[in-house]
Order: sequence, then C-alpha cells, then structure tokens
Amino acid sequence: MIEVTGLRKQFGEVVALDGLTFTAPEGQITGLLGPNGAGKTTCLRTIYGLLKADSGHALIDGIDASKQPLEARRNIGIFPDKFGLYERLTAREQVAYFAALHGLEKQAGEAAVQQALERLDMLAIADRKATGFSQGQRMKVALAQAIVHSPKHLILDEPSRGLDVMSTRILRELLRELRGQGTSILFSSHVMQEVAALCDQVVVVAKGKVAAQGTTEELCAQTGETALEEAFVKIIGTDEGIAA
Amino acid sequence: MSNLVRNPIRIVWRKELRDAIRDKRSVMAAMSYAFFGPLLMAVAFYVMISQLTDPSDVEIDITGAEHAPALVEHLNSNGIVERDKPWPAGRQPIVLAIGESWAEDIALAKPAPVTLTADFSATKQTGDLRRIERAIEGYSNQIAFIRMQMRGLDPRVVQPIELVKHDTATKGSRSAILMGSVLIFILLSVFFSGMNVAIDISAGERERNSLELLLSQPLSSHQLVLGKALAASCFAMFGGVLSVVLIPIIFRFLPLHNIGISLTLDWTMMLLIVLMLAPLALFATALQLFVSFRAKSFKEAQTYISFLLMLPMLAVFGVEFARLKNPILYYLPLTGQHQALLDIIKGDSLQWLPIFISAGVTAILSLLIIRYIGRMLASEKVVFGL
Repeated sequence: MIEVTGLRKQFGEVVALDGLTFTAPEGQITGLLGPNGAGKTTCLRTIYGLLKADSGHALIDGIDASKQPLEARRNIGIFPDKFGLYERLTAREQVAYFAALHGLEKQAGEAAVQQALERLDMLAIADRKATGFSQGQRMKVALAQAIVHSPKHLILDEPSRGLDVMSTRILRELLRELRGQGTSILFSSHVMQEVAALCDQVVVVAKGKVAAQGTTEELCAQTGETALEEAFVKIIGTDEGIAA
Repeated sequence: MSNLVRNPIRIVWRKELRDAIRDKRSVMAAMSYAFFGPLLMAVAFYVMISQLTDPSDVEIDITGAEHAPALVEHLNSNGIVERDKPWPAGRQPIVLAIGESWAEDIALAKPAPVTLTADFSATKQTGDLRRIERAIEGYSNQIAFIRMQMRGLDPRVVQPIELVKHDTATKGSRSAILMGSVLIFILLSVFFSGMNVAIDISAGERERNSLELLLSQPLSSHQLVLGKALAASCFAMFGGVLSVVLIPIIFRFLPLHNIGISLTLDWTMMLLIVLMLAPLALFATALQLFVSFRAKSFKEAQTYISFLLMLPMLAVFGVEFARLKNPILYYLPLTGQHQALLDIIKGDSLQWLPIFISAGVTAILSLLIIRYIGRMLASEKVVFGL
C-alpha cells in the first residue's frame, strides 16, 4: 500500500504540492488525474524518494523513502517521467541490468527477464540494440524494466504516452493482471479515457491539492455529471491542460 | 530477503564497461591517444637526434689551397671539404683564404695568415664555423708542438693548466632530460583515455534521461558512482597500459645511442609503472566524473573537462620545466607518480615509501571525491538542476 499524507513541496516561489493526501491500496489501480503542472510528477518522485518533501510523508508499505530509500525502492517498480535507454545495449540487456540491480542475477535474472519480455510481447525486439527503437518499443523496454522484479508496488508516470492501440491494450492487460496479483498500482495521467477505462479509484489533483477522490461513478455523482470529462472540468474548474 | 542486492557496484561496473566497449568513439579515443602520443614524440626525437648528430661534411670555398696541401688534407680529414656546388640562395658563403706566403711563413716560423670570411651571426652556420675554427686551431697546435720539440722544449710548458672534464652524467641520467617529456605522455594517458567514457556515463546519462530511473533503484548513489568510476578507470588503464607497452617499442626504432641515450624498460619496471598508474587512473576518472556529473549535456561536459585536463598538464609540465625539487612532490597525487617514473627512467634507486604513500594518497583522495559525487547525486538540486 502506498500512503501519502499531507505532502508539501515548494520550489522557490512555486508550491508544487500543497498538502496532498491519498492512498493507493493493494490490488487496486489508483489513477492520479490532473492537468499538466498539477504536481503529479513531483508527487511520484517524492514517493520514491528522489525529492524530499518539505512536510508530510509518503510511505510504501510503511517505509518512508526519504528515510530508508533503499528498502522502499526494493518494493517498487518505477516507470519514470523521463526514461532514456542505453542505445548500445539490447532490450534484453537493459531489462537484465535493472533485474540485477534488484538482486536478480544469473538463472533467476534470466528467467525474470524472459518472463517480462514475453509478458510485454517484445521477444521479437529483445535482442536488438535500442538504437532505432520506436517510441512504443522504448516504452515497452521501460515497462519491462519496471516490472522485471515483480514489485509489490508499481508507480507509472504517464505510461501510455506515445503508445499505439495494440501497445495500449497490452499495457492495460498487464496492469489488470498485476492488480489481480495484489500489486498496488499508482499511475498518473492527464488522459481521461484511460483513467476511466482502468482505474478503481481516481485522485484528481489540481494545484498540488487533491480536488476530489473516488471511483469514476462517485466523481460523476458528486458533480452531477454523467461523463468523467465533464465531472473533471467541473472539479478543477478549468479544461486547461487536459486531454479527453 | 531474496531481493537483497549483493554487489551493486559490480553490476554497475559490468554494465558500464560493456556499454563503453561497444562505443567505438570511446575505444578509439582511448587507443588513439596511446598510439599517437608516443608516435608524435618519436618523430620529434628523430628530428632532434638527426640534427644533433649531423655527420655530413662542411662544404666551404677554399682559395689558395695549392699553397698549403697539408692543411687542406687536415681539414678534409676533419670533414671540412672544398665545395663544388654553388651556395643555395640566401646562404652566406663561407670562404677560407690561404695566403700565398703560406710556405714561406711556415718555414720562417711566422704566423701564416688564413682568412675565414663568413656571416658569423648566422645561427644555421654556427656549428659549421665552430668546426672549421677547431680544425684550424688543432692544426696550429700540432705545428706549435713540433716547433717546440725541435727547439728542445717540452710542449707542455705552454699548457699550464689542464682542464679535466669529468662527466658524471650516466647514460640514464642524460636520457632523463629527454625522457621526462615521454613520461608526461604516459602519465597523461590515463587522463585522456578514460575521458570519453567518464562523460558518457555521467553527463550522457543525464542527456539521455536515464539518470532519474537509475537513481531510483535500490542502490546508494555512492555505489553507483563507484561502479561507474571503476568502469571509466578500466578504460583509462587500458590507454595507460597501451602507452607503457608502446613507448619502448616505438623508441626502439630511434637511433638514441647516437646521442648517448638508452631507454630500456624491463618487464618488472613496466609492471611497476602500470601499478603506479592504477590509482592515478581512478583519480583522473573521479575528477572527470565530478565535473561532468554537474554538466547537463555531453557537450557541456566536454568543455568542462578540457579545462580540467589543463590541470595535470600544468602540474607535470610545471614540475618538469621549472625543475622543481621539493620532497613533497614525491607524496602528492600525479607528481608522486611523476617523480617515481623519473627515478625509474634515470635508473636511480627507487624510494619505495614515497611510492606507496603517493599511491595511497591518490587512492584515498579519489574515493573521497567519489563519495562527494555520491552525496551530490543524493541532492535533488543537482539531479534535477533546480
């Protein structure tokens, strides 16, 4: 379970997070929905300990990443905001690198890598060097890196950007399957459809605060709208920076 | 816990090394310095040696040679011959004129006039003129000695002082002067060879946006930096070893013996040099990582590092040309290895304690820098450039 309590973070004059509080329980997909610049990436980075919160805390299974970063990171898979591949390594080697960093080496590592590659339907590109990979193929490598060690928590920052329809379906199936295995999944998005299609719980973030929280139906009911998009616009008060 | 990471440093090291070996640019950079550095040096030496030991005859115009055939023969045997080609344009002719009265003057024991006409300020001909003067002086002395002996005098009465030159320069120490500059190449090879890798694994990591994910893995930033530094050091050592092996081979083709210099490095010495380069390689990469982790792009890092490279060059050239002699130089990074290498080349006895201390100081300083970089990468300000 990921618990975020009263998270506050300021960069100079800009308040990026302003007392953010929510939980992402096990076996559920939690969507962090918000316009660009709402603080989604800052929030995720604080959870895995790359940023230090000014106040409040984020716990992964009760472990605070700002205090015990290594322990916290062992239990999470991360798909970051910016991901770059090592162009001279093959897809398999890249995934194996991250498996090894999580302690999976030799046979155990090979098996885990093979499983992740199969799961994302990328055996065809597994032994090609990353130079010349399409955006979709790059996303898959990054996803494989995030899940290769079968983490109990999965944090994804806008995972569907640049994916074609087939890849999006693979991603959704993967997330549902992991949810079935009890993984707590937290992902950020500014794409409404995706959140509506996948999430058990939606956390709407605007200006560093939780603007609303609940299932898609609950949010619609709260605002008296029938579509999530309308509900969302009503909640954050503007339609700036969101995609349908 | 099965997830426990046993040795992340080794994992990072192995990955970075594999990545770097596949980078043709890095491999070429490491090799080209080791190849072309000594080669360039050798060419410069070759030109210098051939100038120093120019054995060709001095060709001059001699007028009135028929008056003094014995003198001309003496000159010929000293490599000074009559010129049959015209002087090249821009070159002042050197003319030696023997007077008509030569035979008469010699017979009467009067000074026989011989006129040497030349541009004495022309630096190119200084060596030639000195050879002519020395040859004539020698001939003059011979006649003087014969005359005194004929008069029953010991020729040594006109030589009240005998200056005995006792040259203490061994073959080794003479070569040290020239070899000093070769050493600089060996020392700097570890700074140049790993440079490209160091930039790629630090600023490159940031440029291709892979730094954030890497820093979110369950290893400390200190372990990450150490693994990376070791990988870049391996490349630096690759270049260092290559230049240590290549320099004696390349210099074997130079006629060093003509100027009384020998450069012989046996295997134990080469091994010792390589061992001394090892901590220096770590030091070089630690410094390079320190600057290029602060850079946002490959290009920016290259700019910083080219400034950084001036430091070891200034330090080594400074010591070399200012002929600094200070015991502290034996203990510091870079200068310590430099002094030890000088001793090796000179054939002096090695001072083991300073060698060990400077190796230790170099290694400890490198690890401190690496630790500092690790701390730097734990700071969100540095990582995200806030």
